[in-house]
Amino acid sequence: MKHLFLSLSVIAAATLAGCSKTEAPAPAAPAAPEPAAAAPASQWPELRVAIDPTYKPFTYKTEAGEPAGFDVDVAKALCDELKSKCVFVEQAWDGMIPGLQAKKYDAIISSMSITEERKQAVDFTGKYYNTPSCVVVKSALNLGAEAANFKGKKLGVLKASTQEKYAMGELKAAGATVVPYDAQDQVYLDIKSGRLDGTVADVVEVNGGFLSTPDGKDYSCAGGRIPVEFDAKYFGAGAGVAIRKEDTALRDALDAGIKAIRDNGKWKELADKHVPGVDIWGS
Amino acid sequence: MTTYFLSILQGLLVTIGVALGALVVAAILGLAGAAAKLSPYKSLNWLGDIYSTVIRGVPDLVWMLLLYFGGQILVNDIAEALGFRRGPQINPFVAGVLTIGFVYGAYMTETFRGAIMSVPKGQSEAGWAFGMSRFYTFRRMVLPQMVRFALPSFTNNWLVLLKATALVSVIGLADITNLAKQAGAAARGQIPGAAIIFMAFAGVLYLLISSISLYLLRKAERRYSVGVKRGDF
Repeated sequence: MKHLFLSLSVIAAATLAGCSKTEAPAPAAPAAPEPAAAAPASQWPELRVAIDPTYKPFTYKTEAGEPAGFDVDVAKALCDELKSKCVFVEQAWDGMIPGLQAKKYDAIISSMSITEERKQAVDFTGKYYNTPSCVVVKSALNLGAEAANFKGKKLGVLKASTQEKYAMGELKAAGATVVPYDAQDQVYLDIKSGRLDGTVADVVEVNGGFLSTPDGKDYSCAGGRIPVEFDAKYFGAGAGVAIRKEDTALRDALDAGIKAIRDNGKWKELADKHVPGVDIWGS
Repeated sequence: MTTYFLSILQGLLVTIGVALGALVVAAILGLAGAAAKLSPYKSLNWLGDIYSTVIRGVPDLVWMLLLYFGGQILVNDIAEALGFRRGPQINPFVAGVLTIGFVYGAYMTETFRGAIMSVPKGQSEAGWAFGMSRFYTFRRMVLPQMVRFALPSFTNNWLVLLKATALVSVIGLADITNLAKQAGAAARGQIPGAAIIFMAFAGVLYLLISSISLYLLRKAERRYSVGVKRGDF
């Protein structure tokens, strides 16, 4: 225990010395902490937004290394509404919520689904998009969307995703084997190698990442999408911006921002740009 | 396509930086730990034992998350208690170097402890008999002889440490693994099999670093064994 505290204080001391040097993915942190007394002119002069840039077309990095995608553009639009400067912070998915609580950033705008479980740890704005999910298997099987159809099938899912919860809750009970993976891309690789019969994934994700590629030409969404009646239980209300629970003023401002970009057409413009031909607002 | 490869090459610098930084921290902690474990003082033995047992008994990833996120929360709490709006941010590079160095220092402790014990006690006693101080005896008598015993296990630790640096992608550092993952995701649909291509490239880079370091360390091993016949102990 002694050593743990020792190391923590060593880290703290080293950080004080090291934080003026800006590493590529780290936000440009102020060299000295701002005193609480000085109230800034805009309430949020800078908004640090976390993204996990491995989720095309929502969050990814361009060849030049710039963050891009629907989430990123929505974040920029929301920052404009809040009159603040967006600073993007890269964060791997596993540490997303711990990083928010550790104040590495102020908001997560990275296609995070609003779920009851996550609401226990963080707060969410309303949705800024909502896409259905589906079970992908070989088209030749001609299956419907009902869980019972997947008895005996081996399906890969992304760990800690809403699709995993649905698969564990409904498909496993119906006799399917569900295998969690660290990344959706690994699932596609294992479908290709024959270890899996299919996957449960977001419709937009699976279209861009698999169905539209040569590897996915024999596959399709069984029955189009997972039946609507499971939405509330597993898939929640779509993707929202996650913020710390105490930041209620920021949450209200972001909610107002989402409404504003919906009303002024900015949202539709971005949706058409990144995900053409699909309604990603949902019901 | 080439830009993605170039960006992964930039990650090579981060990986090497974290690995070498962590190696320095680990070597210092390892020497300190070995000294503590071999010292005549019970309290130091005890401290060294706790260090090597607790660290080696918990997965690296858990330490990484605990020290980086837990450490940041602690820093924030202290800063807020002092009246600041938010604490200074822990630099992920510094956090990565310190965490990996801290963890591998425990393995190095055992490496160095074994190496020191392999040097016959008579060597130190001869130094003391000449009136050399404890530290001087260690520097001039024990250290040059223990290096030969330490190197094989040191090499092993270094290779494991090198690959453990891939964990820093969890805390958002743009190392080889992180950039390969991102490149694979970004080039999806444009380059067939992008995920596999970029991951394989990352694998080749790791292999390259480890091959070069194996070559150098083998040379060092030969250099420190000049006074010994091969097969002799």
